[in-house]
Amino acid sequence: MSRLALVSLLILYAGTLRGQETPAQEQSEVVRLLLRKVDALEKRVAELEQKQGEQTVAAPDDGGAAPKTGDAASDPTAAPARAGTAMDEHDHASANPASEERYPSLRIRGFGDINFSATDNRTQHSGFNMRQFTLHLASPLSKKITYFGEIALTAQPTSFSVELERSLIRYDYDDYFKISFGRYHTPVNYWNTAFHHGLWLQTTISRPDMIQFGGAFLPVHFVGVLAEGSIPSGALGLAYDAGVGNGRGPNLLRPGDTGDVNSNRAWLANLYARPPKLDGLQVGGSVYQDKINPGKGADFQELITAAHVIWNKESPEFLAEFANVRHRNLITSQTFNNQAFYIQLAYRLPGEARPWKPYYRYDYIFTPANEPVFGLLDVERSTLGVRYDISDLAAFKAEYRNTRQPNKSRVNGLFLQTSFTF
Amino acid sequence: MRTKIIFRIAVLSCLFLAAAGVADQRRKDTDLAVVVNPDTPVTNLNVTELRKIFRGERQYWSKNMPVVLLVRAPVSRERDAVVRDICQMTESQFKQYWIARILRAEAVSSPIVVTSSQSANDVVATIPGAITVLDMRDVRPGLKVLRVNNLLPADSGYSISMEHP
Repeated sequence: MSRLALVSLLILYAGTLRGQETPAQEQSEVVRLLLRKVDALEKRVAELEQKQGEQTVAAPDDGGAAPKTGDAASDPTAAPARAGTAMDEHDHASANPASEERYPSLRIRGFGDINFSATDNRTQHSGFNMRQFTLHLASPLSKKITYFGEIALTAQPTSFSVELERSLIRYDYDDYFKISFGRYHTPVNYWNTAFHHGLWLQTTISRPDMIQFGGAFLPVHFVGVLAEGSIPSGALGLAYDAGVGNGRGPNLLRPGDTGDVNSNRAWLANLYARPPKLDGLQVGGSVYQDKINPGKGADFQELITAAHVIWNKESPEFLAEFANVRHRNLITSQTFNNQAFYIQLAYRLPGEARPWKPYYRYDYIFTPANEPVFGLLDVERSTLGVRYDISDLAAFKAEYRNTRQPNKSRVNGLFLQTSFTF
Repeated sequence: MRTKIIFRIAVLSCLFLAAAGVADQRRKDTDLAVVVNPDTPVTNLNVTELRKIFRGERQYWSKNMPVVLLVRAPVSRERDAVVRDICQMTESQFKQYWIARILRAEAVSSPIVVTSSQSANDVVATIPGAITVLDMRDVRPGLKVLRVNNLLPADSGYSISMEHP
């Protein structure tokens, strides 16, 4: 009999051990059960309220039958959400959904990053740097009008510079037509609009060379009017952007914030497809044209054609973009074609190693000899790194870069970053 | 004596395994209902359309009626179904996806979170254009339950469900 008791104890102990194998799952299960209990209690309260005659019975809608015809029914107009039971995903909105109707309703999100760099180029300083602190502002002004803003504080040798990166107001007619006015991230490049100052969102530490902050190859910002929307296209999942604006300013790195430097508007068109059947794929192309005055004695017509292929699932992740920037001298008609591309591959590891995401990117920029607008921008760079997500909202990244430029010795560098959103 | 003990062990083992089997059988799928405010001008969606809606890619039911997304709080089975089965993401990816949409000025905010089916019912009933996913047994009469691929919850072949203990 004692053996039987021993066996029973062993079985029970084994069962207990099995239960202890996954404490997190058990905890989740408890929370689920509690939520279910809350649901049941709320249902019971509703039943009691109904019995007290405080609510009226609503007739079932013709549009769809409720699968269960329980006793409880309520008057929608008499049933506002309880305070504290509904909130924005990230707790920016008020707890009461009725506040969704209040305008304006400002929401703020921030991005930050802290970096370390060291290279074998003796002309560059190594060490820590703060790079950028960015605040994104979004505020609905009415059911169909929204304001978006973005302010960046960038570390400089003597202080932080403040820049209004974006400021735009958008009117939504429907999903097919939305029009906005202001200062944008130019939608001529996928990376520029997908990540921009949200360094935590991008897999790598740095942006591709073709769209670097402070780079001239592509216009990073655009001041003007932009129409956007989806195009009814079934399996293709097409969408567009089309805009008219000031184009590049007297300093090619900046848009014409105070006006069009040559009273000749730039225009752009961007068309891309996200086929629903191939979830994660985006393929697109864009065109941008402007007349620029680089201050070198001649005006140039700038024509940018670009294309991208993106697979934004993380296992694997694939990003490839190409751009050709053609400058035509409007006096001599001489043309110069500058090309740039990058290919990035990354892979989110499975299972317990899921926080880890190794990656590789190859960047290339070619500018022809005597290029009159850009000068020499040639670069060839390999970046090999790994990202580790500390939490859902913060990441560590480490990467090695190997850079080659004409008439310069090869540069090897180690770069570290922690980036986050708050 | 030894035979008796072996017999008892065998009986106990059978009982243990049977109990475990019963526990597993209790975990069955329960269909989830896609519920919208009664004024919403739609009665049927396919899964692809539903994905576009819960990813915020479709933002308007009609010219004057924006889509208002409601999801249950993390850990609830209804949310798991929305994030994993409809949006085909992990919880982390879902969170990151909405932060990215806001950064790109594609959305003002992420979906409204409701902490119980009662409040989900209340909010859907109150806000025009509201949509959520609920355990079919929790749907309050008077709300509109959408067909998914022309099927209602409990119909054979209905595609949105959750594992229910």
